[in-house]
Amino acid sequence: MMSQFAAFDLQVSIGAETLFTVFGFNVTNAFLTGLVGVIITVAILVYVALSVKRGKYNRFIGLVQWVFEGLLNQINDIIPDKKLAKKMTPLAITIFFVVMFNYWLSVLPGLDSIKVNGIPILRSSAADLNFTLALAIITFVTVQMYAVKYLGVFGNIRRYIRNPLKNPVGAFEGALEIIGEFSRGVALALRLFGNAFAGEILLIVILLLTSYIASIVLPFFMLFELFIGFIQAYVFFVLTLIFTSLAVTHEEPHDKQPA
Amino acid sequence: MQELTQLAATTNIFTSLGIDWHNLIIQIVAFLLLVFLLGKYVYPWLMKSVDERQAGIEAAAKATAEAQKSAEINKEAVAELLAEARKEASEIISTAKLESAEIVSTTEDKARKLAERIAQDAHDQLDKDVVNARKVLYNDTLELVGLATEKIINKKLDKKADGELIASAVSSSESRGN
Repeated sequence: MMSQFAAFDLQVSIGAETLFTVFGFNVTNAFLTGLVGVIITVAILVYVALSVKRGKYNRFIGLVQWVFEGLLNQINDIIPDKKLAKKMTPLAITIFFVVMFNYWLSVLPGLDSIKVNGIPILRSSAADLNFTLALAIITFVTVQMYAVKYLGVFGNIRRYIRNPLKNPVGAFEGALEIIGEFSRGVALALRLFGNAFAGEILLIVILLLTSYIASIVLPFFMLFELFIGFIQAYVFFVLTLIFTSLAVTHEEPHDKQPA
Repeated sequence: MQELTQLAATTNIFTSLGIDWHNLIIQIVAFLLLVFLLGKYVYPWLMKSVDERQAGIEAAAKATAEAQKSAEINKEAVAELLAEARKEASEIISTAKLESAEIVSTTEDKARKLAERIAQDAHDQLDKDVVNARKVLYNDTLELVGLATEKIINKKLDKKADGELIASAVSSSESRGN
């Protein structure tokens, strides 16, 4: 058995690996798979939208509509302001579908086995920090944008910076809020990356451990990964909404409240 | 110098994590473009269909509630009608029973009177027949007595002879009595 492990050349790279370069831009395996994931997402959503527009229905369209409706209800439940909920809908729903389909691409057969110049072609973009960090930055910026819109520039700044002489506890609270904002963003990016990356490694390790019976054992882990993909997409989606909701409904510091 | 070292160390961390700033920026721009396009051309149709479906469900629920309400009202009306109909039916039955009882008793009286009359008529007829029979018998007896008497006396009897004979018989019986 150990000889089998030795024979299998397991190389784990935290970062996505460059497949080729176009005009100085490094096209990585995760970027390429991510592109496929985005195309699948767009194709499914456009197909469903066109079918709905033409009044054609089938089980698949019904399923996507059902998920869409569930997400809409969730958005309206988390964000009480209907106008803001409507504005947040495209971002939140796109995050959910793109993350889910990209995560699910990590269970495609050929993971870490189809290689070009020793580099695996398939790597879920959810297992690439560039993608997860991009989503976290977009979420962070969006939250700040709506916070400024709803609380005003100074109102938003007052969430973080308060006069330490007048309100030392509030000033400390503000400092913690700044750390909290950054840690939320970093946690968003790292949580998704960690789960997707660990999922891919888990599948490779199970493949190594089970050897010839891998084709019987792996499907169970693949199903598990599909479930985790759905959960991670949902968590990212919900956290985006919660952070936005928290930012726009921020309470004034206690010293500002009337006695 | 120290800052430069720190910057280099930071750059190394990002590089070792596979973070490529070009890639990151392109992904951010691409994702925002995707959100814009989907939000403008795809989601409105899906949201419209969801709204229509929810409106349909709400309308169906409303119609169901109204139908239930009207069904309850109808049920009450039907129950009232049924109660009224039962009441009327029981009244009709009791009236019919009374009428039938009256008819039966009237018919019985009539039948009894008719029977009595028939019996009375029969009695009267019988009495008449008896009287007539007695008369016929009396006449026949008289005739037979006359015939027998004619045979005994060998004489044709008429009204005068008959009177004389009766008178002599009466006188002989009186003299025997004395």
